[in-house]
Amino acid sequence: MQGSCYGFQPVSDLSFEYLRGGTGEPFAVAELEGEADEPEGELVVEWTPIPNRRIWARLYAEGPRYRLWVEGHGTFEVDPQAPSVGLPSAAAGLVRREERLWGVPTMLCFLARGDVPLHAAAVDVGGEAVLLAAPGYHGKTTLAAGFDAAGYRVLAEDVACIRFAPEPHVVPGPALLRVRRDVAESFDLPGARAVAESDNRVHFSLDPARRGDSTPVPLQAVVLLRKGEDGIALERVPAADTLRDLWLLSFRLPTLADRERCFGGIARLAATVRISNLVRPLRLDELPRVIERIVADA
Amino acid sequence: MSIALDSKVQRDASVAFRRLAEGEGGVLLQLETGQYHGINEVGCLIWELLDGERTVDEVTTGVRERVEDPPDDLSDIVVAFLESLRERNLVA
Repeated sequence: MQGSCYGFQPVSDLSFEYLRGGTGEPFAVAELEGEADEPEGELVVEWTPIPNRRIWARLYAEGPRYRLWVEGHGTFEVDPQAPSVGLPSAAAGLVRREERLWGVPTMLCFLARGDVPLHAAAVDVGGEAVLLAAPGYHGKTTLAAGFDAAGYRVLAEDVACIRFAPEPHVVPGPALLRVRRDVAESFDLPGARAVAESDNRVHFSLDPARRGDSTPVPLQAVVLLRKGEDGIALERVPAADTLRDLWLLSFRLPTLADRERCFGGIARLAATVRISNLVRPLRLDELPRVIERIVADA
Repeated sequence: MSIALDSKVQRDASVAFRRLAEGEGGVLLQLETGQYHGINEVGCLIWELLDGERTVDEVTTGVRERVEDPPDDLSDIVVAFLESLRERNLVA
């Protein structure tokens, strides 16, 4: 099967909606037979539903492998060393299950190969990547959708995969955008197709002609998204001042070794890439000017 | 109690250090608590010289050899910095 995501090429009988072109590292994906057993390993992380997070999930470690239970989906079995992911049945729908696959399960696999995950969208501006970094509900998906509507290639929507090779690059993720309903109704994403809906979001599968492949894209800038009242300001931030934000936007397991790994990654990022604060009002009519400001700085 | 010049100060094993771009100093991260502390270039030099074998006086000499125009009160600066690290449980 041709097609790739985060530098992985699925080896699978299943079909996928969000793959990019090209090839990648073999990545076995299969539906598990029967119901998965209740996870017995060590509970590593639990995500509970809070106003800024919609899903309830638990991650268990069983030796070098993991089991991820997600409310409404079931249990994913992850072997980062293989790498492989076993999927629960598609009770929530094939597309929604695939979206979960490209979340934490795949992130554990690309962590194992040495890449660094960051809670950020990413767009391709003139052959270089710009990360749009922010926690949930700060407008990064809306901004990424604005870039797509303006003709730019979206490289990641929620989790950016950063590779130091040796300079930082973004490895493109799933070709999807999950935008708020009012955003979906406000502008056109050329070539994109609505494939699912959830809560108040419409899930788009991006234009196949503009997806490209998973070739890593050199990372030139990180933009930390801030909410403002009036006007748009983009200001460079000293590296030491960015680490707190990057730390909060990074994923790490609760072990000293993984915290050190994460710290090394974000410190290296802060030391090598231009990082700026972008303060802007969260209004759709300001999107074109915001995009213009980011592109002008690139 | 002030740190003596003939004492040997040890980095805490659960503290990670990374330098940032040239001229931007570095960062110390307490791995167990996730607390991080930004330090300037001189702080980086001091941290890198803390091998648990050098005395505070020897660390000061090391810094003096590596900076242009070291201040006359460099010894006091080094001691004050080490005391601030000790207060934050970054050194023993």
